[in-house]
Amino acid sequence: MTTRVDIEAAWARLAGAGDALAGRDRNQTLGSLAAVFDAWSDPQSTWQRRLVDELPGATGMNRENVRRGLAAGLAHWNGDALREVFEREVAGLGPRVRVTGFPTTSVLLAGSIPMPTLLSLALPLALHSPTLAKSASRDPVTAGLFRESVLAVDEALGAALEVLSFSSSDPVCSDAFLDADCVVATGSDETIAAVARRTRPGARLVRYGHRLSIGVVADAAMSDETLADAAQALALDVSLWDQLGCLSPVAVFYLGSGSEVFAERLSEALAAEDERAPRGELPTASAAVARAERDGAAMRHAAGSEVRVFGDPKLRFTVIHEADAALRPAPLHRFVRVHPVADRDALLAAIRPLSPHLAGVALAAGSGERPSLAHDLAGLGASRICEPGTLQAPPLGWHHDNQPIVLPLARVADLEAPR
Amino acid sequence: MNRPEGNRTALDQKVLAWMGEGSWARDDERFGALALETFAYQLEHCLPYRRFCEARGASVDKVRDWRAIPAVPTGAFKEIALRSFAPECEVATFRTSGTSGVANARRGELHLDTLALYEASLLPSLRRHVLPDLGEGDRIRILVLTPAAEETPDSSLSHMFSCAVASFGTPDSGFFVERDELQVDAAWRALSEAGEPVALCGTAFSFVHLLEARPDSISLPAGSRIMETGGFKGRAREIPRDELYAWLEARLAVPRERIVNQYGMTELGSQFYDSVLAEPDAPRRKLGPPWVRVRLIDPTSDRDVEPGQPGVITVHDLANTGSVAAVTTADLGVRIEGVRIEPGEHGSEWGFEVLGREPGAEARGCSIAADLMLGG
Repeated sequence: MTTRVDIEAAWARLAGAGDALAGRDRNQTLGSLAAVFDAWSDPQSTWQRRLVDELPGATGMNRENVRRGLAAGLAHWNGDALREVFEREVAGLGPRVRVTGFPTTSVLLAGSIPMPTLLSLALPLALHSPTLAKSASRDPVTAGLFRESVLAVDEALGAALEVLSFSSSDPVCSDAFLDADCVVATGSDETIAAVARRTRPGARLVRYGHRLSIGVVADAAMSDETLADAAQALALDVSLWDQLGCLSPVAVFYLGSGSEVFAERLSEALAAEDERAPRGELPTASAAVARAERDGAAMRHAAGSEVRVFGDPKLRFTVIHEADAALRPAPLHRFVRVHPVADRDALLAAIRPLSPHLAGVALAAGSGERPSLAHDLAGLGASRICEPGTLQAPPLGWHHDNQPIVLPLARVADLEAPR
Repeated sequence: MNRPEGNRTALDQKVLAWMGEGSWARDDERFGALALETFAYQLEHCLPYRRFCEARGASVDKVRDWRAIPAVPTGAFKEIALRSFAPECEVATFRTSGTSGVANARRGELHLDTLALYEASLLPSLRRHVLPDLGEGDRIRILVLTPAAEETPDSSLSHMFSCAVASFGTPDSGFFVERDELQVDAAWRALSEAGEPVALCGTAFSFVHLLEARPDSISLPAGSRIMETGGFKGRAREIPRDELYAWLEARLAVPRERIVNQYGMTELGSQFYDSVLAEPDAPRRKLGPPWVRVRLIDPTSDRDVEPGQPGVITVHDLANTGSVAAVTTADLGVRIEGVRIEPGEHGSEWGFEVLGREPGAEARGCSIAADLMLGG
């Protein structure tokens, strides 16, 4: 069991590791991390294979689902992509802007999806900030594995990352862990508020709140075949990681007249996904919510509403075709609603309440309509508009939470020339 | 007043007769027969429920066991008027408290064409579990930290407490919420001046509010008891039940063995109570009256979970003749065994413990618990 003494000892080791990195050329570090990401991006690498072996046991997810999720998510997360991000956000600022890491960074990890963990740990290291991470309770594997992979490439850099775990309800450990110059917190609003209360005065707090994603289908100028493809692609977006990621669509807003047919196609496509990679464990509490929503929809149908229920009675997947665009609870674990919307104004009005929490939008629309729709959706706060089927494969440089990804972790100084 | 018609009156009379007998012995045969009779009545008179059942292949001919009667989720009471009687016969509507801060939050509604079953069910249960030591014809001072029924006529909780005060309370019993404000000083004064044991009743939040508003402590007379119910829905502050009980123990000198949690909901005509006063030697667990059955269900299979496993609390309540008797709650529970004694004697019934609505919600991943966000 981790104690305050363990955490303080980790900080002490990290201070030494930070000293060893001081004065080192950042390009050397970036090169090491690029090599790490190149290794991770290969589906045959030790790291992906070990995650495929170890993550299902830790998360309850199906092994094939993990394999496919990693293959999709990491395919383009290579060294070049990492370098591009630093080029864009750091080098692009010019020689008179100095970007440095904080003396210490603590990273509070959350969730059970590995990709955000990799990036959350790599970025402060790239800035030479010694980093202490707390593993997510649902993923005790990825952070430690990432540390191993850095050590394998660059021992001095790997020594600047320590990973531990303790109960979030332990205030003594929490205080010791959060005693950093920069704190990166991922989690619910309540979790982040609790972290904010414990963060030292003046420290940087980088927040990554809970988010959700949606699909938007505008059927004008789309052929039956294209719509069928969109249903299959959205089924993949829903199924990967069992809909537990912030890029998992929880609802599809359908602009046009064929929403019910689309819902049925989506259900068929989810059945096919279930054949390929079945849904993982479903906690009883989550199953209860799904059952209540499913039966509630069936009751609404029985009372004369146009709502329709598709999917598997044992809750392997569910599609509810709603009668309107009113937002309803999202039980997750492969449970998706299709909402008909009459026109673009109705679409935007329906999505607007989601704005503060919107991450990605998988947009299926004809080429004439797509650019302006994408523009409107970005205006509502979506940080990513993409093709259906690609939601779970964001670029490494995606502006998660509508912000740069390196600079929030850095201290930026303008070195003005004498006037 | 309009009265239930035809076979409904006969059905109500049978259920009322059971409620009036004062026996707590389990009678499976009687329950099963009345449940099937109720199901047949509700299929005939509640069209949405009939269609819901038909979609599941459940009909009077096919359902031979009460366990096969389809249950509707409590959420349905928010969206559909589940009446098994003509709307013009309605005499009361109880509404759930709703969730503050959630835009357009719907409130669940229980429509009633008679209060007779509701009251006939609540009184013996409350007496057995909160006032088991009250002699026949005796009364006790009941102090209630909710509004009286006249102030909130759509609150089933206020109605319940008003019935309790009318049936078991002394004349100096009273309610200490007026115009939605807890009357802290008046309540505290009444508690401080109590010379005889009292029954102090309220929602969990009202107790927190009372104790936070007063810095001092008092010792209620020995023999007092507390009944707390509801939770912290829509409130900014929430504390675990253990902590609340420790606080009540320390500040009011009522031992936790005399603190009874009631588990009830607007959608149901009957309630469940902690067994601590009725069966002080048995494990604390929720017990309902014999005209109610509880199943703990695996939501993926609709089958009973194995003992010890969490399941969705599904209630079959014969007091619900006017709406739908089989209701799936939004709560998880786990079975708790009673004391093993001879079959047929009191105290042998299993009960359950409520685990809450969303254990493990934090473990969902980085996708927001969207039910919070979307106004569930």
